[in-house]
Amino acid sequence: MEQILNRLKQKIEIKSVINKRADLYFITIKKEHIELVLSHLKQQENFTHLAFLQAVDYIEDDKFQLTYMLYNYDIKVNLGIKVFIDRDKSEMTSIHKLWPHAWQYQRELKELFGIDFPGSPRVDESFVLEGWEEIPPMRRDFDTLAYSVKTFYQRPGRTTNDPKRYMKEKLYKNFAKSPESGRNDE
Amino acid sequence: MSRISKNKYDNFKADRSKFPQMENGKAIIDLDSHKFTKLWQGPQHPGVTGNMAVELTISGDEIVQAKTHVGYLHRGFEKLLERRKYIQCFTIVCRICVPEPDTNEYCYSTAVEELAGIEIPEKAKWIRTLNMEMSRLASFLMWLGGQAGSLGMGAIGQWTVGMRDFWLDLFEEMTGGRIYHMYMIPGGVRKDLPEGFIMRAKHLVVETRKLLFDIEKSFFNNAIIKSRLKCLGIITPEMVDEYGIVGPNARASGKEYDVRMNNPYLKYPELDIKMITSMGGDAFTRAEVRYQEIHQTLDLISQILDKIPEKGEIQAKIPNVVNWKIPTGETYVKAESTRGEHGFYVVSDGTKYPRRVYNRGASYTQAISVLEKLAVNTSISDLAGLMVSLHTCPPEIER
Amino acid sequence: MSLKDIISPFNVWKRAAQKPWTIKDPLNDRPGADNYRGFHKNDFDKCVGCGTCEDICQNAAIDLVPVQTVETDMSDSGLRPKIDYGRCCWCALCVDVCPTGSLTMSNDYTWVTDDPEEYRFIPGADKMKWDDCEKGYKRAENFQLIDFDRIKMNELGVEERSSSFIEMVKGYSKEQAIEEAERCLECGICVARCPAHMDIPEYIKAIREDDIELAVQILYKTNPFSASCGRICTHHCEDVCSLAHNGEPIAIRWLKRYILDQVSPEEISKILKDIIQTNNKKIAIIGAGPGGLSAAYYLRLLGYEIEIFESNEKGGGMLRYGIPEYRLPYDQLDKDIDYIVSLGVKINYNTKISEEAKFNEIYNSHDALFISPGLWNSIPVNITGEELPNVISGIDLLNKVTNKEEIDLGSKVAVIGGGNSAMDAARTAKRLGADVEIYYRRRIEDMPADVEEIEEAQDENVKFFPQTTPLEIKKDGSGLKFIWGNNKMIYEEGKRPKPVLIKGETFETNLDTFIIAIGQNADLSFLPTEIRDNIETKWGKVVVNELGQTSVEKVFSGGDASNSKADAVSAIADGHKAAVGIDRYLNK
Repeated sequence: MEQILNRLKQKIEIKSVINKRADLYFITIKKEHIELVLSHLKQQENFTHLAFLQAVDYIEDDKFQLTYMLYNYDIKVNLGIKVFIDRDKSEMTSIHKLWPHAWQYQRELKELFGIDFPGSPRVDESFVLEGWEEIPPMRRDFDTLAYSVKTFYQRPGRTTNDPKRYMKEKLYKNFAKSPESGRNDE
Repeated sequence: MSRISKNKYDNFKADRSKFPQMENGKAIIDLDSHKFTKLWQGPQHPGVTGNMAVELTISGDEIVQAKTHVGYLHRGFEKLLERRKYIQCFTIVCRICVPEPDTNEYCYSTAVEELAGIEIPEKAKWIRTLNMEMSRLASFLMWLGGQAGSLGMGAIGQWTVGMRDFWLDLFEEMTGGRIYHMYMIPGGVRKDLPEGFIMRAKHLVVETRKLLFDIEKSFFNNAIIKSRLKCLGIITPEMVDEYGIVGPNARASGKEYDVRMNNPYLKYPELDIKMITSMGGDAFTRAEVRYQEIHQTLDLISQILDKIPEKGEIQAKIPNVVNWKIPTGETYVKAESTRGEHGFYVVSDGTKYPRRVYNRGASYTQAISVLEKLAVNTSISDLAGLMVSLHTCPPEIER
Repeated sequence: MSLKDIISPFNVWKRAAQKPWTIKDPLNDRPGADNYRGFHKNDFDKCVGCGTCEDICQNAAIDLVPVQTVETDMSDSGLRPKIDYGRCCWCALCVDVCPTGSLTMSNDYTWVTDDPEEYRFIPGADKMKWDDCEKGYKRAENFQLIDFDRIKMNELGVEERSSSFIEMVKGYSKEQAIEEAERCLECGICVARCPAHMDIPEYIKAIREDDIELAVQILYKTNPFSASCGRICTHHCEDVCSLAHNGEPIAIRWLKRYILDQVSPEEISKILKDIIQTNNKKIAIIGAGPGGLSAAYYLRLLGYEIEIFESNEKGGGMLRYGIPEYRLPYDQLDKDIDYIVSLGVKINYNTKISEEAKFNEIYNSHDALFISPGLWNSIPVNITGEELPNVISGIDLLNKVTNKEEIDLGSKVAVIGGGNSAMDAARTAKRLGADVEIYYRRRIEDMPADVEEIEEAQDENVKFFPQTTPLEIKKDGSGLKFIWGNNKMIYEEGKRPKPVLIKGETFETNLDTFIIAIGQNADLSFLPTEIRDNIETKWGKVVVNELGQTSVEKVFSGGDASNSKADAVSAIADGHKAAVGIDRYLNK
């Protein structure tokens, strides 16, 4: 595995290497290098199995992380390739020419994260959400609870109590509140 | 490769010189010509596995184009998991798949343990291995019934589903639930095996073998089944990589990939297990491979029942789950389900809630890319058998 | 295609003759497995309504609702889980996290009703057919999702600590404190039990998130003596902790101490940013103990000018003069007091108000008074020989040690009493080099002292003689001779067991010093007669309303002199209440 990574390092810059397990590595590379790296790994290093392609939303950094998980049947190692792309107008190179089934992941990512893969077959067809009008739901700023409250009928008659507040109400309702007039800790 | 049969339609291939018109190797489909019909198989159809639909364009009873439609089952699990504490996720992950929930539980729990740096005790590992094999068995039994049923042989479905129920009884004793076991929890398992469990399980292994003997006679030695499944839906070795095919589907095309042996986990290294592969690549070969794997699984269950230690801890020490924060990191944990490589990719950001949980299921590509390709040129009546032979499971697509 | 393939499938008919697998009457013939996760049961005697089940339920199927049969009290919120079976997924996480073990599941799985509203029910309150069902899912002994074991506190070894006054408890490190804070379930039952109603779950949360500034701010909202309370509080909050039912409670007291250990006195004022806007009204406070100083702190925040009269040379009252240094080092007490003083509170030390004129002058020149004189008179045991010179009170001993006076106790000392003062006196005597014995009229488990105090005293080799009553003290050479009687316990339904002397069973011991620590009472002699006559007292304590006001409307009172708990945190709560009371009285 070391050799494979060294050979790869000669070609492009690898930002970080994480050895999670004996059979699991993660590397971070630049967005532009993705096609080069994947075709190199597939054709030269026998990482022939694309296990998945998925995104992680780092909304606070304004980035999406794309993870391409490859597998090598000979050395029996999984290699996760991480790429960071901008969250606004997110776009990524399509890899459906390397792995024909990659179009499926790219179509899903387009729908659920809003990441575009120009040139990928059927990328604009809806996948699981026909007639969806909200923002792509797997983005972290999509609030599922608010959506379900808005969309669905809420069954009435549910009330609950917080033990701390309830006990205060019952046992020491009139206990002194802290004088806060002189305090500006807000 | 010599064993790969020729396409059965080669023998009585229609005259395609005029119809349909081809362009770049693809038929030009003009619905207005009334020579093609759109037909939806599913989402509610006995010949479809689970809640999905296949949009077929047929000419006569031959499928010229197939498109998979999903979305009838989308529950947004992965999104839900982002809003739940690590321990709360554990009750949801099993619900991704009905016939085989335990693989999800195992992968998720192990991923969390790996990120948190927890090593589970020996006994818990043995129980998990047993649980995984039992769930494989239950899922295979259901598949076997489905494969026979999809070809019109309902009796076998009744036998295997009946037998599966006896295995579910054992699950109920062991875990407290029949379908969703919620048993492999981050940190270990929830309960030790009940008294007398090993005896009952051994007895059931014998009973299952008896049933399999009958099934072999009536299903695998069956002229009709053979004529319908042989040459159906051939997966060539080249396709395995191109489409990310895994599990029995890949092994039936000669690919030696079984997570239990390639990247051993739990107690598999201590068990006597051999890779089962074949070269046929068609639906019948896949059925044979699976049938052998059922025997393999029964054998493994017997081995585990003999080796499982009587006493031992079942849980590693974990912190208070209400405030459990997992250190930043990411991992991918995979296991062999009946459909092949099944994995969980978990990303944590140091809080109480996972940043991202992704579930990779074998059916994701097998039910869409592969099915869409293989369905072309088969007949409508074969589609159900083809789908079951790929062992498609829509929940793995939508999650 | 072989002939075999055509004949072989007819095998299926073989099975047609077999006995079917179907269960004819599944409702009766097929009970759930012993371990089945069926319908919920809740044992109301064990349940304390902590709501952890509600927190863990990922389906939001559980509500906490009041039930008629359960009263809210200090250790029970009176709420009980109500489960919506339209949402429940029978994962049993609620059973696994239940800290008291009250919530379980039966193995019953059939319930038919035509009213969907019935599927929202309160297990335990609504009578169900599976209530008596023995089988079903319960948390396994060797499986737990919450942490029942407290992080061990580093302490000085027994050898080292029994010979010195160095603080014996070393305090938590940051890692230990965060780990301990992670055990908290945030139920908040402790808040009601704390006399000062400190927001315990919130400051524990702040520790968990390593936000010490926020933690300090939360503490000062209800308690300006956190460095001291973090060491010597009677921590009744820990008694009601929901984890205490099956394990060790959260070390709430040590966590509070941890917060104040992290900040220097200068940092406290930076964090709190207290700004005083003076309103030119003057309040006098008698006694600079925890009650008086707390009142001073909160009144000062409200803008009042405060003048405190203290008879001792330093502030802190019983915290300084009644608690030995190995439990509360003086610099920690000073840290608390100095912050209050830094806000502009004036303290007149060495000022004992003994003349009427002096009191009247204070009474007339201030808008209101807060009296918290503390309990300084030791209660005598009333036996012959008590007046002998080697018989002293526990409070005298502790007082002398604080003032660094020369003390000669001799080699053998007996302490009578079972409260914290008795333990403090005994352990102080031990540190002064004596062999110490504790005599108490009830059993050890009846002692009002904290369990840890008793255990630590035993570790330090203090001998306990429970169920004994002193009968007589005689002089014997330079020492004392004691005659003791043995007690038996008489039990009465619903009452504390009563010690009764067994006739004829006596024994004698020789001692050098005898320390009485069976209790103290207040000395209100400084009050002028007309006020003393007007102030209502009961059992020697000043009677006050819920805002600390006595029957003389300008005079408020608090601390040990007016509450029966006689601990520091109650005094602090009194000070806080009275501050609000005085503010309301002066602004009505």
